[in-house]
Amino acid sequence: MGFLVTTLIFVAVGVIASLCVIICCNRGPSTNLLHLTLIITATVCCWMMWAIVYLAQMKPLIVPILNEGE
Amino acid sequence: MAEIGGGGGCCPPMDLMRSEPMQLVQVIVPMESAHLTVSYLGDLGLLQFKDLNSDKSPFQRTYAAQIKRCGEMARKIRFFKDQMSKAGVSPKAGEFFASAHRSATAQQSEIESQQVGEDVLETPLLQEEKSVDPTKQVKLGFLTGLVPREKSMVFERILFRATRGNIFIRQSVIEESVVDPNSGEKAEKNVFVVFYSGERAKSKILKICEAFGANRYPFSEELGRQAQMMTEVSGQLAELKTTISAGLDHRKILLETIGDKFEQWNLKVRKEKAIYHTLNMLSLDVTKKCLVGEGWSPVFAATEIQEALQRAAVDSNSQVGSIFQVLRTKEMPPTFFRTNKFTTAFQEIVDAYGVAKYQEANPTVFTIVTFPFLFAVMFGDWGHGICLLLATMCLIWNEKKFSSQKLGDIMEMAFGGRYVILMMSLFSIYTGLIYNEFFSLPFPLFAPSAYECRDASCSEATTIGLIKTRDTYPFGVDPVWHGTRSELPFLNSLKMKMSILLGVAQMNLGIIMSFFNAKFFKSAVNIWFQFVPQMIFLNCLFGYLSVLIIIKWCTGSQADLYHVMIYMFLSPMEDLGENQLFPNQKTVQLTFLFLALVSVPWMLLPKPFILKKQHEARHQGQSYAQLDETDESLQVETNGGSHGHEEFEFSEIFVHQLIHTIEFVLGAVSNTASYLRLWALSLAHSELSSVFYEKVLVMAWGFNNIFILIVGILVFIFATVGVLLVMETLSAFLHALRLHWVEYQNKFYEGDGYKFAPFTFTLDGNEDE
Repeated sequence: MGFLVTTLIFVAVGVIASLCVIICCNRGPSTNLLHLTLIITATVCCWMMWAIVYLAQMKPLIVPILNEGE
Repeated sequence: MAEIGGGGGCCPPMDLMRSEPMQLVQVIVPMESAHLTVSYLGDLGLLQFKDLNSDKSPFQRTYAAQIKRCGEMARKIRFFKDQMSKAGVSPKAGEFFASAHRSATAQQSEIESQQVGEDVLETPLLQEEKSVDPTKQVKLGFLTGLVPREKSMVFERILFRATRGNIFIRQSVIEESVVDPNSGEKAEKNVFVVFYSGERAKSKILKICEAFGANRYPFSEELGRQAQMMTEVSGQLAELKTTISAGLDHRKILLETIGDKFEQWNLKVRKEKAIYHTLNMLSLDVTKKCLVGEGWSPVFAATEIQEALQRAAVDSNSQVGSIFQVLRTKEMPPTFFRTNKFTTAFQEIVDAYGVAKYQEANPTVFTIVTFPFLFAVMFGDWGHGICLLLATMCLIWNEKKFSSQKLGDIMEMAFGGRYVILMMSLFSIYTGLIYNEFFSLPFPLFAPSAYECRDASCSEATTIGLIKTRDTYPFGVDPVWHGTRSELPFLNSLKMKMSILLGVAQMNLGIIMSFFNAKFFKSAVNIWFQFVPQMIFLNCLFGYLSVLIIIKWCTGSQADLYHVMIYMFLSPMEDLGENQLFPNQKTVQLTFLFLALVSVPWMLLPKPFILKKQHEARHQGQSYAQLDETDESLQVETNGGSHGHEEFEFSEIFVHQLIHTIEFVLGAVSNTASYLRLWALSLAHSELSSVFYEKVLVMAWGFNNIFILIVGILVFIFATVGVLLVMETLSAFLHALRLHWVEYQNKFYEGDGYKFAPFTFTLDGNEDE
């Protein structure tokens, strides 16, 4: 699974969650906008965290060196 | 201020983003329905009355007498409560019977004093004197009484000095403590008898007795009368005892009937008091037939308030209805956010820093997600996250039960923030999965590790290391890193860069919020001379750094980013050499540096001058086109609005802008550095949990002894709960709080508003006297 595929999964999850919130607890446009903002922020935060860790491991400059004891 | 309204055009206004639009309303209520009206408004709880009589002292106000009566009633009710609680603990005397009881015990102690006095009497001294002295015709008088034990020595000395030694005093200790008739408390006392001669000495002794709080009791010299007194007093005592027991029964019945209605009375009195306090804020009309009140209310509440007014007029059979009208004012309205039980705690986190200015962009909108997220970055362990989740689920599950009862301080805090903790635990489960830590242990949940030995014998695994053979581990940190020698260098580099990336992202979000503010308040100056240069400055330096980090990761370049960043300032013209990450890097860097340098004066200089020009233009306009507005402006003046053109001090504005610019430029550096706390705390958390796991649990396992193992498990559990789940949660919470209050909110948040505090009965519980 490459970077793009997982990113697409994140996007899909975000979209599905947004749709769920809009359909399941529809409380007027203002509240929906707040809920959407919350979901989008949460998705972006989670995606950023994942993307940072993924990118950092893509082209490793340091490799794991096992301990002598093991 | 009130005319600013409406959202940003394309989308509907977002809940919670802006505080509710408020209006200053005037209510004119006829005298006879005023009380009911205020009561109904209090039930509604959407109107914050302004004090129109602030120049009057509490005694000069219209309803001072009623408030006094309410105070008196409240005092009585408090007295009942005291009595009830006393009766609840131990069925003792009520106020009236207590006094009777006290006098009885006083008499009892008197008897004791007499008995002790008799002992004194039996000493040969008195007899001796009697027998020796009758010829001399000196009348020897004496006084008996009780004196507090701690004062007895001083008492004796003073007596001795005052009479120049012409007295004889004897003291004796009473073993049981005696109820003092003045204070009603038990005290240790001595009984004394003083013999003296002459009237002057007597008056002196009496005064001293008074000064020392010594109670004197009459005591007869003759034995026959002593005995008579004894019988009299014991008779009285028996009588009083029966009276007391009858009184106690009576009091119990009385208190029980009071107890049934107590809550109702208490509520009623408090309500009345609140109503009269509010009525006192209203000003009396010149005709003295109606009351005029002013106050803030949300715009959406206008119809509800009008309905309440109408209902009150009908219910109080008033001939005339109340008048409700909206006033125009330049005053700053209060800030009112309509929150629900989920958002309240987050809004309180923001309010603890400062209440938002009226209609200012509310940081809570993003804080709801970013606060728990940043917390979780520092608290990334899905085992600990699950523990936290279970704890908070427990709170949420029993929400109804907990909210109705009184909790301790700490418990109250945890309960108030239960939804914050819920979000924090959910995010820490997520970040724990990313960090791949479950009580510090990694699990290959998503795929096998991407690294393998270089050859079949695996001989170089401890010297050169493993080699990456598969695709990158798809989700989170590769489990192979755990326990390797290069784990720390790798995680440090990763977490440090992650902190900077997250920090730059959040600071950009803060600056974008300032754009929404500028757009909402229609301030083009703030967009072009604050938002734009700030964006450019931050992103040319730290945005560029973030991009460099990502490029370095994507290309696997060996370039030294510190070197690049430092020499970008020190010698921008120099060739980058091996630190070059992309072609034309030097030109790009020069452009960025130039833009960053330009944006500083851009932030500093134009804004004060433009503000000055705007002010002058406004001022000129005012001096001409005034006439047709006079009526209204007069009215505004009479309505107590702080109308009038504010002074424009150019130097002040300029210094303010200078400080703001310096703060932003220095802040961009220091705030970015401040985000490194994410790295430090998450490192501390993971190291601590791995120490607890290895040094306690694994070591205890190694002993192969069931007893040691149990002790080890217990120590591990306590260390995990106490240090990691409680202390680390607190410290990560505080650091997340700081990152939001300082690094995020100082980019846009003014926070100089004041909270909407409507007159309502629901919060009556914590109203003070």
